[in-house]
Amino acid sequence: MNQIIIRIPSRLTSDVEGYKNLISIYQKVKELEDYEIIFDFKYTSWFEANLSAIFGVIGDYASDKGNTLKLKDMKHTVQDVLLRNGFMAEYGMGKIEDYKGTTISYKRFNAEQGLKFSQYIKEELLAKPDFPKLSSLLAKRINESIYELFENARTHGECSHIYTCGQYYPQKQPARIDMTIVDLGISIKRNINRYLKNNGKPTKTGSQAIDWAVQKGNTTKTGNISGGLGLDLVLEFLKLNNGKIQIVSSDGYWEYRNGKTEMRVLDEVFNGTIVNIEFNLEDSNYYQLQEEISLDGIF
Amino acid sequence: MENEAIRLLVADLIGNDTAVSTDDGDSVFQNIKSGFTTGKLVTLDFDKINLLTTAFLNAAIGQLYSEYNSDFLNSNLKLTNVASEDKILFVKVIQRAKEYFEDKKGFEDSANKAFYGGK
Repeated sequence: MNQIIIRIPSRLTSDVEGYKNLISIYQKVKELEDYEIIFDFKYTSWFEANLSAIFGVIGDYASDKGNTLKLKDMKHTVQDVLLRNGFMAEYGMGKIEDYKGTTISYKRFNAEQGLKFSQYIKEELLAKPDFPKLSSLLAKRINESIYELFENARTHGECSHIYTCGQYYPQKQPARIDMTIVDLGISIKRNINRYLKNNGKPTKTGSQAIDWAVQKGNTTKTGNISGGLGLDLVLEFLKLNNGKIQIVSSDGYWEYRNGKTEMRVLDEVFNGTIVNIEFNLEDSNYYQLQEEISLDGIF
Repeated sequence: MENEAIRLLVADLIGNDTAVSTDDGDSVFQNIKSGFTTGKLVTLDFDKINLLTTAFLNAAIGQLYSEYNSDFLNSNLKLTNVASEDKILFVKVIQRAKEYFEDKKGFEDSANKAFYGGK
């Protein structure tokens, strides 16, 4: 069996550099079949554990093509968090209790496992013993946002599996949770350009397609169920929460943070979609409308 | 003669307290439609529902506009026990559904005109 060693960078972070590094790894393994692939972590001192969701997709994709995978020379601090979040168990290296209470497990769901995803969020996100006491409305909005993204991956991605992983960063200023949801289904660019072509409209680049997708009212749906609200609602919440969202799909990178949008063209393509959403846990907004809405005559 | 009324408890229809998936929303839509088809006034009860998404509501409520108009729905469908912080979702979903089906109708009318001719 041929062997290839892929060196993992010194820092894997939830930012454009981190995503570029992971996409580069994906591109390296994409064409390999029947190789022994060794991921060399010798120089890696920081691995934001929510990014396990992306690494997991890459690993499964490689395994499905007959490759065997090994993780080598991992530093203790990196190995510890990946043992606690269950990622290392995928490589036969077991799992340890999350004694710090900061991980939201690495998981893989198929498209029919919505109920299992519900249970996962309840058990992992909301019920952690040391989690800060969020206002119930803030917790609800965080929950809703995650579900909107999961449902998007399920319905638009047309993928067989959805990978998720989260991490609580209590030491960051402000304290935050990152939740990463990944699929290797139809990319946003492909989905939207297919829709635009069918409607005689000009096509878009990867990041332009993501930007189109997040605008309220924009949807590629054509059946009897309307759409075009989910991502806008998530953005609306993040504006108030002072959180962040990053979307990577095909060669497009799109980020919203602090009232600003950033778009970039990536050098390499990811044949699926990565969404990372970062919630600010030191959010003291009230999240209740001042005026009561009546549902009489609402239709 | 007054129409018979039925109460649909969403939590019972979907079997849990999180109303988040398109499929569950479609199941609720089918039950509402079934009630309307048999001439009933439908009350949709959201008691015990702890989480709602637009994905669910687009399918459960928004989809009603594919078959019924506002007047009919206001006369025959009542929503109860919706948490006050969730009411805004209904407003957004309904507004969006009206735009969506209006656009859809406009597109289909144009397509038909282009194909069949006419003024």
